[in-house]
Amino acid sequence: MPELRRDPIVGRWVIIATERARRPDQFINQVVESGAEKPCPFCEGMESHTPQEIYAVRPRNSAPNGPGWDLRVVPSLAPFLRIEGDLDRRGNGLYDMMNGVGAHEIVIESNKHVANMADLAEEQIAKVIGCYIRRILDLERDERFKYVLVFKNYGWVAGGGRVKHSRSQLIATPVNPKRVKEELIGARHYYDSHERCIFCDLIHQEIEMKERVIVEIDGFIAIVPFAARFPFEIWILPKKHSSDFVQLSDAQKAAMARILKVVLSKLKIGLNDPPYNYIIHTAPFRRQKAGYWRTIEDDYHWHMEITPRLTRVAGFEWGTGFYICPVTPEAAAKFLREVTVV
Amino acid sequence: MIVTTDDPNKPEDYDHDEPQNWRPGACPFCYGNESSTPSEIIAIRNNGTAANTPGWQVRVVPNKFPALQIEGDLERRPLGMYDMTSGIGAHEIVIESPYHHKDLSDLLDSEVANILHMYFQRALDLEKDRRFKYVMIFKNNGHGAGASLEHPHTQIIALPMVPKIVKEEIRGAKNYFEYRERCIFCDIIRQEVEDKERIVMENRNFMAFCPFVSRFPFEIWIMPKKHASYFCQTPVEQIPDLAVMLKGIIARVKKVFGNTAYNFIIHTSPINSDGQAMDSYHWHLEFMPKLTRVAGFEWGTGFYLVPTPPELAAKFLREA
Repeated sequence: MPELRRDPIVGRWVIIATERARRPDQFINQVVESGAEKPCPFCEGMESHTPQEIYAVRPRNSAPNGPGWDLRVVPSLAPFLRIEGDLDRRGNGLYDMMNGVGAHEIVIESNKHVANMADLAEEQIAKVIGCYIRRILDLERDERFKYVLVFKNYGWVAGGGRVKHSRSQLIATPVNPKRVKEELIGARHYYDSHERCIFCDLIHQEIEMKERVIVEIDGFIAIVPFAARFPFEIWILPKKHSSDFVQLSDAQKAAMARILKVVLSKLKIGLNDPPYNYIIHTAPFRRQKAGYWRTIEDDYHWHMEITPRLTRVAGFEWGTGFYICPVTPEAAAKFLREVTVV
Repeated sequence: MIVTTDDPNKPEDYDHDEPQNWRPGACPFCYGNESSTPSEIIAIRNNGTAANTPGWQVRVVPNKFPALQIEGDLERRPLGMYDMTSGIGAHEIVIESPYHHKDLSDLLDSEVANILHMYFQRALDLEKDRRFKYVMIFKNNGHGAGASLEHPHTQIIALPMVPKIVKEEIRGAKNYFEYRERCIFCDIIRQEVEDKERIVMENRNFMAFCPFVSRFPFEIWIMPKKHASYFCQTPVEQIPDLAVMLKGIIARVKKVFGNTAYNFIIHTSPINSDGQAMDSYHWHLEFMPKLTRVAGFEWGTGFYLVPTPPELAAKFLREA
């Protein structure tokens, strides 16, 4: 009998197929990406092919926009949103619109032409995490912005383009995104009635039940969520309550890098280097104003969601918000638990 | 929605080549292979032909690998902090025609009308089952859109609950109605007729347009011009008009993009409910060509990036 499972935070239903369930190993990525790769604008020595750098980790004696860097942040070559201008909210008949003001930055994670973050050194991943935090804190100073979304598209199918150089993106938005809002509201409702963080409760239950846990490392846990939308969807959460990603200590950054590398390596080894997306879900900027909610630091819990792209998302999933997951979360977690990472 | 206005994508800018690596072997939806599907639920067939043999024009069968199962009780239960329900539902396949290589746009108007009749008939039948709260009718055409078989087909899923996005849409429409006592979709139609620039096709009873808030480039909505909350209650005399319009937009999209993958989904009112959505909700068909890959940004935010403004998309489609 198939099961319908409800995500406890946002209330989305997922069909967990059991009759048609496929074994985890049937999802192993078959796609070999073809097509000539363009020359890489993100490699060391190619700095003039990107817009001027916003931030870089580089030795004191090296010049901006020249070689010698370790990590580099540049504005997007094809920005979704632009930094200049006013929001200018307005109506057009019954439609609402505003100018596309925002920031769109690319974090180039290494000066070497490495495709998958899984293949970067732990210390390098920790630097990337530190860089995210630094950029978020800088963007927070711009009063027009409410949220910074940090995400990664790896592989063509996942929107990563044709250039195989490990990088991630930051987008600062002038409104709180709908999906983020839903999650915040879900967490607040739970807090209102339980006076506990829903994510903390979820972590307790997962540790007790064990079957959806992939790995626990130094204060972090990686699980396949109970109502996973996609096969091998993974959440990484700090076990200790924290609403905001930017509050990570140096030790926590190193631990986060460790678990992230393990999880990404498990995906790469176990499922043959599949395309994936990851997104950091964190609390929005807390600007004191009317309607500001004071419990956000108690009721929300930052985490990372990783979604390998192993099946096509059909139109009805977009059209209805109803997902069919063709492998059970328990089987996916077991499979990933058993992948050995050297 | 974020719409690119500075340097919008034109049709040739989309990298949407559709790989045709279908599983080899006999097609279970073609004539002569009727025994490789579960027994048919209903079919439009020539006089004198027996069920599960050739001679049909439209054939409905249960999905061989159903996402949900028809037998059993709807049992809601908790698991610690989690909620779950037994996967009760129905999952049917409408095989649109015997022709393996003919999509809706290649069929006769009357053949498309027959397919629509079949949608109505199945949805009305499933509605009799009180366990079901929503009937979802959708089509995945082509690999890129999630289809696993090439032979054109539509899927019908009956669900024991109303999907989240539909629920939100209904709630939004209801809020608008309570405030203005008008249907928001009727207002959208009025505004689109006035603005003209987003309209793709129009006939006596239906309108097709690229919505102001398109989530995907070249997204198209088909809507009945006269208020109607319920897809299955489309008056018989309007069906030919709907068939022409559905055929027409697929033909236009294919003229602009070649044989691109696409999805469509019919948004209609829930069933077996208190009928409160009748005045405020307006059924429509959402059509989405698969031209871009949805990436992390869209997942994380629910914001969509549209590289071609709907006005420009509508112009290309109108002129196709």
